[in-house]
Amino acid sequence: MAACRALVSRAVLPLHFHHVCRGVMLTHIREKKRWMKAYTLIMERKRKMEGPPPPKPRSQQPNFDYHAEVEAFSARLQESFSVELLKTAFVNTCYLRSEEERRRALGLDLETTTLNLKDNGKLCVHGQQFTKGFLSDWCRGSFPSLPEEGVAAVVGHLTGSEVMCHVAQNLAVEDLTMSAEFPVPDETLQGTFFAVIGALEQSSGPVRAGLFIRDFLVTQLIGKDLFDMWKVVDPMGLLVKELTLKGIALPEPRLIRSAGASTVLPLYFVGLYSDRKLLAQGPGETVLAAEEEAARVALRKLYGFTENRRPWDFTAPREQLQKPSAQALTSG
Amino acid sequence: MSSFSRSAQQWATFARSWFLIDARMQPPGKIASVCSVRLQGKHKPIYHPLSDIGDHVVVMNTRHIAFSGNKWEQKVYSSHTGYPGSFKQLTAAQMHKKDPTAIIKLAVYGMLPKNLTRRTMMQRLHLFPDDVLPDDILRNLTEELPQPREIPRKLSEYTQEERDAFPMLWTPPEDYRMK
Repeated sequence: MAACRALVSRAVLPLHFHHVCRGVMLTHIREKKRWMKAYTLIMERKRKMEGPPPPKPRSQQPNFDYHAEVEAFSARLQESFSVELLKTAFVNTCYLRSEEERRRALGLDLETTTLNLKDNGKLCVHGQQFTKGFLSDWCRGSFPSLPEEGVAAVVGHLTGSEVMCHVAQNLAVEDLTMSAEFPVPDETLQGTFFAVIGALEQSSGPVRAGLFIRDFLVTQLIGKDLFDMWKVVDPMGLLVKELTLKGIALPEPRLIRSAGASTVLPLYFVGLYSDRKLLAQGPGETVLAAEEEAARVALRKLYGFTENRRPWDFTAPREQLQKPSAQALTSG
Repeated sequence: MSSFSRSAQQWATFARSWFLIDARMQPPGKIASVCSVRLQGKHKPIYHPLSDIGDHVVVMNTRHIAFSGNKWEQKVYSSHTGYPGSFKQLTAAQMHKKDPTAIIKLAVYGMLPKNLTRRTMMQRLHLFPDDVLPDDILRNLTEELPQPREIPRKLSEYTQEERDAFPMLWTPPEDYRMK
């Protein structure tokens, strides 16, 4: 009984012990085996020496049917992909090359056993162009006052490998990609995801592909700050440029509040006034840092990227979305 | 507040402010309760007793506090060092004469939570008998708190017009002699 209780308190039950339900433990042993301890210790030592097992791709784990998975992929996303286009989208160049190497190494004749698979290169390029175009249109529509560098920065962040790989891994694109190495490298995964978008656009049309991009990529912007994505070195200079373009008076910084100025942890609030009216105020550790922060807050207000802006509407009805430009304007 | 960068917002949230309060003609208990609230950090929505987010409070003109009633003569401050024959009792007036900041200090000390953080909070309380403050404290100040008691005006502070405009309760006859 004491032995059972000690065993139950461990995270992993040893062999021959099974939890049937809470409070009931089934033991397929008659008594305590003398070899059990030595065996368990050797296995633990082996596990500690070798480290965790290398990750295996889902296709090499049990219960995987590629065709069924591809069809399930399109059903899960509620999109109607054409199956050959989708299967082509998942095939990468590195995979084709590694397959041909393998076949040559096995000594198979190349003429009789050619690979019927096509590359996803063209689909990838097409998908990338479409995605970047759609995202730029959407960005310009939602934030009309955001300049071109800002739009490029936001689109670059969304189509960058971090965001795209995160989305691709969570949509199970990584499980279906056919590539030479596992785990799939970031650029390959990004290319595969672009190819999937390209396949979607060619199967269901630009409207559905636009909705897909909006639902999966644009949502990654929620909660993100503009200057996380767009690295601006001199916000004050940019603000002065923006205000001169609009014809508003140039900003004058004034110290609004300060706390603990002669301590090691001071706080200053600097406000920017143009023509005696407050544009924005920002806190900082030093007066210069506070002024820079105030400039950033003013830029966020100008570009409409404040925290209290109206959230994007992801429930736009289908009938309005005829043209990409109209779609971009209504989803803003 | 709105649309600050994350690091700037965090810095501003956890910064320690410096409050100034003028104790002239104020009851020391009311001053002490305002001080204790700010020293514990209970005026902040991020308050937690273990967080150490209290602010600094600077009290000036502690020499000019005003007890109500007869407390200057009747309120007694007692102390005993533990040795036999060292029980001292001082009235508030004697205590105030000896040390003009002691009354407020003892009042705040009694109003803070009775745990180890109390001493740290007392270190953040700065008491000055008059309105002469050292330069570095003056530079640190953020805000002045309003006085808890509205000071009534002396008769000499009213203008002649205000005195004339005050309604008379009854008009005395011509030959009435006022003492």
